[in-house]
Amino acid sequence: MDRLRLDSPDRRTAWKEEKERKLAKLKQLRAERENRRRKQLEKEAQEAAVRASSVPRDDQDLDKMLSSLGVAPVSEVLSSMSSMSSEPGGDHSGSPDKSLEANSTASPRTPSKKQPQLSVVSVQATNIPPRETVTYAKGVQTSGSGDGHGYYEDWWRPRKAEEEDNSLTMLDTPPIYGGGHNRHLPPGILPTGMPTVQDVKPALATEAEKKVEEEKPQPPRELSDEEKQMLMMTEEFHSFFDRSTRILERALAEDANIFVDYSHDYEEDGEANESGGIKLSLNRWFYDERWSRNRCITCMDWSPQYPELLVASYNNNEDSPHDPDGVALVWNTKFKKDTPEYIFHCQSPVMSATFARFHPNLIIGGTYSGQIVLWDNRSQKRTPVQRSPLSASAHTHPVYCMKVVGTQNAHNLISVSTDGKMCSWSLDMLSQPQESMELQHKQSRAVAVTCMAFPHGDVNNFIVGSEEGAVFTACRHGSKAGIVDAYEGHQGPVTGISTHSTPGPIDFSHLFLTSSIDWTVKLWSVKETKPLYSFEDNGDYVYEVAWSPIHPALFTTVDGSGRIDLWNLNQDTEVPTASTVVEGSPALNRVSWTNSGQQITVGDDMGKIWIYDVGEQLALPRADDWARLVHTMGELKNNQADDDQSTRHYDSSFSSLTSLSSSPLR
Amino acid sequence: MSAEVEETLKRIQSHKGVVGVIVVNAEGIPIKSTLDNPTTIQYTGLISGLTDKARSVVRDLDPTNDLTFLRVRSKKHEIMIAPDKEYMLIVVQNTNE
Repeated sequence: MDRLRLDSPDRRTAWKEEKERKLAKLKQLRAERENRRRKQLEKEAQEAAVRASSVPRDDQDLDKMLSSLGVAPVSEVLSSMSSMSSEPGGDHSGSPDKSLEANSTASPRTPSKKQPQLSVVSVQATNIPPRETVTYAKGVQTSGSGDGHGYYEDWWRPRKAEEEDNSLTMLDTPPIYGGGHNRHLPPGILPTGMPTVQDVKPALATEAEKKVEEEKPQPPRELSDEEKQMLMMTEEFHSFFDRSTRILERALAEDANIFVDYSHDYEEDGEANESGGIKLSLNRWFYDERWSRNRCITCMDWSPQYPELLVASYNNNEDSPHDPDGVALVWNTKFKKDTPEYIFHCQSPVMSATFARFHPNLIIGGTYSGQIVLWDNRSQKRTPVQRSPLSASAHTHPVYCMKVVGTQNAHNLISVSTDGKMCSWSLDMLSQPQESMELQHKQSRAVAVTCMAFPHGDVNNFIVGSEEGAVFTACRHGSKAGIVDAYEGHQGPVTGISTHSTPGPIDFSHLFLTSSIDWTVKLWSVKETKPLYSFEDNGDYVYEVAWSPIHPALFTTVDGSGRIDLWNLNQDTEVPTASTVVEGSPALNRVSWTNSGQQITVGDDMGKIWIYDVGEQLALPRADDWARLVHTMGELKNNQADDDQSTRHYDSSFSSLTSLSSSPLR
Repeated sequence: MSAEVEETLKRIQSHKGVVGVIVVNAEGIPIKSTLDNPTTIQYTGLISGLTDKARSVVRDLDPTNDLTFLRVRSKKHEIMIAPDKEYMLIVVQNTNE
């Protein structure tokens, strides 16, 4: 700053002059302003005088302070306000101004208070409700497709479930309009039958019909393709579809011709008469293109709770390595629907399957890998819900035999694998067997078990057949746990065992049958180590044998050439009473009777299950069949004794045949 | 999921004697049909009315009861109707092969 001054003396002087000029001007302006003010003051001296006198001294001091700042004194402000207000003359400022005036007049009485007094003014509030505009909207009269409370709309349609109660109340309180609550009477007519006088009466009938007709063709055009696709994706649709198609497929399949006329001429179809006499006839087959094709049937079992349900386990399909190796299908024989009820699969070929006797929802499978798997048909999964571990404590060889034994509260799953290991499991815990036992015979030689059977009513003793051709009885518990007796007779691996379990007056539960690769079926008694009789009619490996559940002397066998044989011991022990060859001659791996004893199910190696009806004369036992069986057994024994004697002279089965033929069974 | 639906429909359609399969929703609009459009509309309209009437009969006789299945058998065809809360499945089959 000093430098500036020093640098430019000219500027300094110029600046000074300018400053002086400005100051002079300011003074002039101030003087003029003050003159004006004084003039104003003089003009309204009277008005101001009152106020000025009323204004307390504090205010005058204030005025001085304010005026020094250049602000007009308070009185002037007030006067200016009043001057302003007097000119326009509005109501709003009038009242506060008056109050102010009142205050200012009152204030000399209370000089201490400088602020204006506030008083409570009662405000009168009036409430005017809005004007109700009454409008008629079409929506009130006719509702959309969902509501259904409309007067005319679809009065014949039944209401939804929530509105069901109305139907009962209609008797108590007749509705104002007949349409809404009533389901059958046309609008305007009370349930009592008397038509009521309604406002819109004349145009009723035609209008209703027209509206109905209008609405009828409209709905089908509403949905677009995309909407339909969307609808079909919903969960609801899928559950509905699953339910309905299941029922419908059964209904479709049952083509029970209820209009059959039995009184028509029988000569035309004389063949129909003989159907009652046919001994063994094909009823149907079960085959699933996707799951059972090219798979050998390894086991079949019937459900104890639902006699029409059959579980069949399948081997792997060599042609499709990507499909699961083990499949178990549950078939329903009651309905003609030919798709399985349930489909289950697992990673290892299933060698045996059984329904858990005391758990209707569980299906147990024994696999080639030695695992025991458990499927549950309540879950949506098709894979096992439980699996036994692949460990040395469980099985490490294929499990061909499984059975649930015991009672409701105390039952076990018994499984035997081909290494001779027998494990007893609890179905709740498949992580380890409850107990396990090695079936060994003579010098610790393990028995390779291929089939197993429990005699009727026995949970402790059981019979096993082995690969060496010997049959053993064994015991689970007790002092003689393990192999008890050996029954030698077969010359090849034993493929099937069946114990006699037919209830009747005489107990034959000591009898059992075995089938073997050596083309024979042998009849044994547990009391004797030598077979009672040998059935030699087959020309191929006999894969399984099964006693009839109702007939004491009837059993069936299947062999590798597709032949099913029915043997009745009371009729003939040398040739089967009935025999048939399955269409296509596949090798038949399994056979099983239905619980009724009137049908045979046969499983072949191509994945088909054949169901054959057994003629009634053959299937149903007569009362004397038990006694006759005793007689037959006696004769067989005699023949065997003769046989033994004759074999000393010449050794061949031919002699047994001749001796039998010489002494007829009857 | 819809492939299963398609497959099942195809299976039913290929069943012996089946003329057509229609899936209808609660309002009477056909969702899926194997018949031509005018026939579908005709069937749907008539059968919806019939099903409603049948259902009302069942419920009137016993309010706790409900319609589960309806079969209409005529000389030439049999119409099987499986009604549900939201949808309805209709299958028409020839009788007397």
